[in-house]
Amino acid sequence: MKKGYIYTIIFMAVVSIVFTGLLAGVNAAYKKKIAFNQEAVLKSSILLSVGVESGDDVNAVFAEKAQENKLGDTTYYSIETDSGTAFAIPFEGPGLWGTIRGYIGVASDLQSIQGIAFTEQNETPGLGGRIEEDWFKNQFMDLSLETVITYSGDSGLDAITGATSTSNAVLKIINEFISTTLKELEEAR
Amino acid sequence: MKNELKTVFFRNLWRENPVIRQILGICSALAVTNRMENSLVMGLGLMFVTAFSSLTLSALRNHIPDRIRMIVQTLVIAAYVIIVDIFIKANLPEISAALGPYVGLIITNCIIMGRAEAFARKNPPVLSFFDGLFAGLGYTIILMCIALIREILGFGTIFGFDVNFLNFTTWTIMVVPPGAFFMIAILIWVASGITDRRLKKNENKQKGAA
Repeated sequence: MKKGYIYTIIFMAVVSIVFTGLLAGVNAAYKKKIAFNQEAVLKSSILLSVGVESGDDVNAVFAEKAQENKLGDTTYYSIETDSGTAFAIPFEGPGLWGTIRGYIGVASDLQSIQGIAFTEQNETPGLGGRIEEDWFKNQFMDLSLETVITYSGDSGLDAITGATSTSNAVLKIINEFISTTLKELEEAR
Repeated sequence: MKNELKTVFFRNLWRENPVIRQILGICSALAVTNRMENSLVMGLGLMFVTAFSSLTLSALRNHIPDRIRMIVQTLVIAAYVIIVDIFIKANLPEISAALGPYVGLIITNCIIMGRAEAFARKNPPVLSFFDGLFAGLGYTIILMCIALIREILGFGTIFGFDVNFLNFTTWTIMVVPPGAFFMIAILIWVASGITDRRLKKNENKQKGAA
């Protein structure tokens, strides 16, 4: 149908205002709930990096077991586990497509890795994205830090088929974490 | 109205099924079909968006100036998609993480704009609503079929429940997106085969009658 310019402009403005208003309303209504969910996910990741299952009430478990510490600008957590205190320390580094962030659990003597949890990654879903799967993360449990970590038969670590770049990136991030962040923590103590 | 609904239903589910007949929405069909649960949520999201965007655009169809109709369509579709995205993030956070960016990408799913252009622009709101709903349903059913086979072979589960009674080795190819290419191709092949056979039968009947 043919309509004038003025009508077209007014129509577009009205439609835009109505739908943007609708979105703003929905966003405001759910903002708190989404923030709450994200915090719960973060807390359960921190706990999982040292092998603590958080169960249903993440906030209570976290409040009970975790304690905040500072190392320079980074915040890390000391967490009570069944086998003594362990540290959950944040790490970040370049993946294939974007920054990979997460927490590495380290035993209190700083001699072994207890586990790893990813909080942010933009790797290819179904390929590099599989670093989030349990079988991959569980490989990093109880890993001795005496030697540089590699994918090999000796270390028992498997890379992900079809995601060589992401697998290597993760390894590089972890080794860099060991040689920098962990060193700093050792010196600070 | 009843007859029209029936036509719309069968056309969207079979004769012009978006995935296996029109080959639309393939990107997400490849991406999210390695688990039934993800496919179901994706399908429901798409049904919601297609149905309501068709309803809205059809209700506005006599007021939308022709030269900006695509802008309006995109705006309406995007608004509904973001609502779905926020809703899933708030209420189903785990599934939201599993679907990753694909919920936001419902916007680019050609099925929605296809229904808006081909149907909602010329038909009354309620009928358009059902046209969108059934187009989404056609998409969902195909996704679920693909996901059923991929999940059984790839993980040995259905909706997360273990069904791997024979203890076979699961197929990694079914978990990664290329597995979906095989499944979609097989479905399209079967669907085309059935249609061809029907056409031939009808021809033979007509010949026999003549």
